[in-house]
Amino acid sequence: MSYLDLSIREIHAAYVEKKVKPLELTKEALLRAKANQDNCFEYICEKEALEFAEKLTEVEEDNLLWGIPYVAKDNLSTKGIPTCASSNILKGYVPIYDARVIEILKEKKAVLIGKTTLDELAMGGSGMTGHLGYTYNPYDPDHKRMIGGSSCGSASATAASIVPFALGSDTGDSVRKPASYGGLVGLKPTWGRISRYGLFPFAPSMDHVGFFTRHVEDAAIVLNALSGRDDRDSTSSFKPVEDYLEATKAKKQYKVAVIPEIVDSISDKELLAEFNKTLDKLKENGACIDYVHMDPASLSSIYATYFVISCAEATSNNANLDGIKFGPYYEGNSYQEVMRKARTNGFSELIKRRFVIGSFALMSENQEELFLRAQRNRAKIVSEVNAVLKDHDFIFVPAAPSVAPLFNASGDKLSSEYLIADNHMAIGNFGGLPSITVPFALENGLPLGANITGRAFEDGEVLNFAKQVEDVTGLGGLSAKKEDR
Amino acid sequence: MKEINIDVLKDAASRLMFDMTEDQYHTLLNEFDVLTKQMATISKIEGLEKYEPMTFPFDCTVTFLREDVPVTPLSVEEALSNAGSVLNNEIKLPKVVG
Amino acid sequence: MNFEAIIGLEIHVEMRTKSKMFSPSPNAFSKEPNTHVTPLDMAFPGTMPVVNKQAVINAIRVANALHMEIDHTLYFDRKNYFYADLPKGFQITQQFRPIGKNGYLTILDKEGNPKKIHIERIHMEEDTCKQLHMASYSLLDYNRAGVPLVEIVSCPEMRNGLEAMRYVEAIRNIVVYTLTSDGKMEEGSLRCDVNVSLRPYGSDKFGTKVELKNLNSLKNIEVALDYEIARQSACLLAGTPVQQETRRFDEASGKTVLMRVKTDAVDYKYFCEPNIAPIHLSDEFVDEAIKTCPELYEDKKARYEGFGLSSTDAAIILSDIEMSRYFEKAIVNAKNIKTVANFLIVEVNGYLNKNGMAITEFPLSGDNLAKIAAYQDDGYSHKQCVDIFNYCLKEGVEPEEAKTTLKIEKQISDDGLVLSFVTEVLDANPQSIADFKAGKDRAVGFLIGQVMKAAKGKVNPGAVAKIMNEELAKR
Repeated sequence: MSYLDLSIREIHAAYVEKKVKPLELTKEALLRAKANQDNCFEYICEKEALEFAEKLTEVEEDNLLWGIPYVAKDNLSTKGIPTCASSNILKGYVPIYDARVIEILKEKKAVLIGKTTLDELAMGGSGMTGHLGYTYNPYDPDHKRMIGGSSCGSASATAASIVPFALGSDTGDSVRKPASYGGLVGLKPTWGRISRYGLFPFAPSMDHVGFFTRHVEDAAIVLNALSGRDDRDSTSSFKPVEDYLEATKAKKQYKVAVIPEIVDSISDKELLAEFNKTLDKLKENGACIDYVHMDPASLSSIYATYFVISCAEATSNNANLDGIKFGPYYEGNSYQEVMRKARTNGFSELIKRRFVIGSFALMSENQEELFLRAQRNRAKIVSEVNAVLKDHDFIFVPAAPSVAPLFNASGDKLSSEYLIADNHMAIGNFGGLPSITVPFALENGLPLGANITGRAFEDGEVLNFAKQVEDVTGLGGLSAKKEDR
Repeated sequence: MKEINIDVLKDAASRLMFDMTEDQYHTLLNEFDVLTKQMATISKIEGLEKYEPMTFPFDCTVTFLREDVPVTPLSVEEALSNAGSVLNNEIKLPKVVG
Repeated sequence: MNFEAIIGLEIHVEMRTKSKMFSPSPNAFSKEPNTHVTPLDMAFPGTMPVVNKQAVINAIRVANALHMEIDHTLYFDRKNYFYADLPKGFQITQQFRPIGKNGYLTILDKEGNPKKIHIERIHMEEDTCKQLHMASYSLLDYNRAGVPLVEIVSCPEMRNGLEAMRYVEAIRNIVVYTLTSDGKMEEGSLRCDVNVSLRPYGSDKFGTKVELKNLNSLKNIEVALDYEIARQSACLLAGTPVQQETRRFDEASGKTVLMRVKTDAVDYKYFCEPNIAPIHLSDEFVDEAIKTCPELYEDKKARYEGFGLSSTDAAIILSDIEMSRYFEKAIVNAKNIKTVANFLIVEVNGYLNKNGMAITEFPLSGDNLAKIAAYQDDGYSHKQCVDIFNYCLKEGVEPEEAKTTLKIEKQISDDGLVLSFVTEVLDANPQSIADFKAGKDRAVGFLIGQVMKAAKGKVNPGAVAKIMNEELAKR
C-alpha cells in the first residue's frame, strides 16, 4: 500500500518522519491521474504540481495539509490553469485569479494535481453532461455505473484514491450524492462557512464549496483550513471558526431524527436492512434515535422547489458567458450575433433547456406563481426542517435510494422515490445547514451512503456524529482501489 | 401564468441569446409537461402566502461595508488576456447600434 | 384646447468615490482604456460583489438632503438583460428596497413661488462599460464598468421646462455639495432621462409618455422640454395621437428627434441579489453620515447672504464648488467679506475668463485677494486696488510689494481737507460756476479735475464729487 492511500494525518506523520516526500507523492498522484480511465479530469496540472512540490522540503509540523496532493472541481477559479466548468462556452478560458479556497490551499502548501470534470456548469446530478462525456464510477470497472454529480470527477478521483481529498461544490446535493455512490465522506458545511469567492455560481443562494475525503477526520482537517470570513464574499460568515478536528474527538451522545417519510419512499430492501442495522449499532453506541414525521407534501415538493429556484438563478448567473470577455469568440455582424453564436455553440441542449425554464419562472407574469412561490415554499420547508432540528441534533437518513445507478436506468420522475428519496438532501441547501454523507454499508460491493444534516454553524457536531457512524460501520478509508484487491 | 407553447419558448430562448433546433424545442415542450406536474407539488401546498420568499437560507444580516480603498487594478494585458477580439487595448465588437 | 404637461425625471449620478460600487477597482478618470479594472468589472466567473461604504454614505447624505426616509437595511436586486456594455448580463440595483424613498425638494416656479417636487426614490446601482463607436465597429472600455451610481426618481410633478431645469439644478447642487459627484452634465456624470406627457387641463388621466435623452446641460433641458411640449400639443390639436417613443435632443436645431418607437416593454426579470447578504445600517452609522455631511448648497447660500451678498452674487460663487472653496479660504481673515466677493466675482472671474483658466489654477492666494480687498476698505480707490491686483498677477509678487513698487498712496477722503481743495478751486474759477448754473454739466468735471490736479491725485474722487456738488449748490 502506498502512502497516498492513507489518511491525511497518516501522510503527514510520514512526512514528519521523513519516510516520504511531497514530490514523491505528487508524482504518484500524477501517475494515477494520468492512468485514470474514468474521465475524472479536465486538466492535469503536472508541470505546476511538480514545480510546487519540488519546493516543499521543510516539513511544517503544525500544518496537516502541507504537501498533501488534491484535486479541485473545474468550476473553481485557478489562476493560470484552464478552467471551463466542463462547458464548451469556457473552452480555453484561463482565469486570472484564484478562488479563495485555492488560495488557502496554496498557502497551506497542499499540491493541486488537476481540475476535475463536472456536469456542465455544475447543473446536473449524473456526471453525464460535461462536455467530455460521462464520468465513471471506479467501483464499476465495466463503466456502466455513474458516480453521480455534479462533482463527478472529484468524487471519482477520491474514490479511486488518486488523492486523499478533493474540492467540489454542492447546490442541491452535488457533493453528498456522489459521495454516497462513491463510498466517500462528502461534506457541505454551513452556507457562509467557506468563502465562495471564485466558485463559478450556479445558484448562489444555495451554492456551497464542499469536498470529498475518505475519512471523517480528514474532512475536519480540510474544513479547519477552508473555514472563515472572506471580505470578498459578502455572504461569508463572521461567526468564529471552531477547531473541527477537536470537535470530532470526544464521542458525544446525540438525539437523532430519522424521517420515516424519506426512508419509506425507498424500495431497495437490502439498503433499508443495512440502514436499520446501522441505526441499531448507533443506538448501542449511545445515540438516541427517534422517528420524526415530516409532511410528505412538503418533502415531495423539494425537487420542484429546488429546480425552479436553481434554474432561475442559473439563467442570470450565466448571462456573463457571452464570448466577449472570455471563452470562444465568434465573428458576427452585430454584437447580438456575436453573443448568440457563442451561447448557441457553447451551451449544451440540456443547459439551454434549463435556462429557458429558469427564465420562464422569472418572467414578470409568471414570477409570483413560479419563482416566488418556490421561494415561499423553500421558507416553509426550512421552517419545518428547523422545527425537527429544534428537538433533535440531526436528521439522519439514507443519502440516496440506491447504490450508484446504471447510466441507462430510467426512473419515474414523478414517483415519491424520485421526488423524496432521491432529492431530499436539497433541504441542506435550502436552509444552508451543515450536511455530510458517510458510507454505511456495501451492497454487492457497491457503497451506500447515509446523510447527516445538523443545525446551521454546528458543523463540528455533524462531524462528531459522522465519526461515530464511521466507527460503528468500520468503513473509514474506503476506496475503490481497496475493493479491487 | 403565460401559456407554454413553442413560440413562447422560442422567444424566451431568443431573449437569452441562443438558438435551439426544432427538435430541441419539442423536447423542451415535453419537459414542461413533466415540470408542470412536478410544479403541482408546490401549487397544492396551502398557506404559502404566509411565508416571505426566501433568498438567504437563514438570517445572515451583516453590518460590514467595504472601505473605499482602491486596489491595484489588473494590467490591460491580463484583463484582456481571455478576450477573443481586441483592438488597441479595447474589446472590439461589430458596431453597436440602438 | 389647452394642455398641461406632466414631467418626471430620472437622474443618474456617477459618484466620485475612490473605488467602484461593488469592486475595489480605482474609480477615477483615465484616458487609458481598461486600466481601472479588477476581475468583477469584467464579470469573470466566480467574482462577487462587495458594497462600497463611501457609496452608501453618499447615498444617505443625498437622501437626507432630499428629506427622504432612509431604509436601515440594504438589499440589492438583479436587473437582467443582455447588452454589449453590460458585462455580467445583469445590473445590480435596488429595485425592491431603495435606500431612500418619499422625499421632496423645493424649487421656484415660473412666478418665483416655492413649489415642492416630491421624490419617489433614490437607489444605488452600478454603471455599464463605455462604448466607443467607430465607423464600422465599437470598442469597449471597462474603466467605467461598476462605477457607483445613485438614481433619483422624481414624481411627475413638473409642468414646464423651467421647473424641470430648476429641479435638475437643485439636484446637481445637492450631489456636488455633498461631495457625492462632480455633477458635470456635459461629461455625463449627471445624466437625465425625462418623461413628458400632455393632458387637457382638468383631466386626471395621463397621456402617452415620451422619453427624452441626450439632455447634457441645464439649458438643454428647458429648451428640449419647451420644444417637446409644443410638439405634442400640436400633435394633439391636429388630432394625431402622441406615440410612445424615445426622442433625442438635437442641440444644433434645438429640436427633439425620434430615436426609437417603444414596442413591448423589456422584462428585466428582477430578483433579489443572492450574493449580497442584507446589510444593517445602525442608527449611529446613518446619523454619523448625516452629521459629517459637508455643508449643503442651500445652507452655504444662506450663510453667504448673511455676509451681505446678494442672492445672485452668492449663486455666482456657488456655481462652481472650487470657486466657493476659494472664497471660503479668502474670507477666513477678511474684514469686509462683501468686498472680497466683489473682487472674486468681477476681477478674478474676468481674469479667469480672459486666460481660459479654472479657479484651481488661479495663482493669487485667497489671503492675498483678501488683502487687496482690505486696501479698498481701508480707503484706497477701487482703481488703485485693481492696479495692485493686476501687478500681483503679472509679477507674481505679494500685494504689499505691488503697492510699494507702484507707489500707490492712500487717497484723502477726509471731508475737511477735501473741502479746502474744493473751496480753493471754486474761488479760482468763477466762470465755471457760472457755466454750471447755466446748465453746463461738463463744468463739474472740469472743476473736479482741477481739484485732483491741485491735490496731486491724492484725494478720493468720490469724496471730491460729493463735496463739489454740495458746494456748488451753495453758491
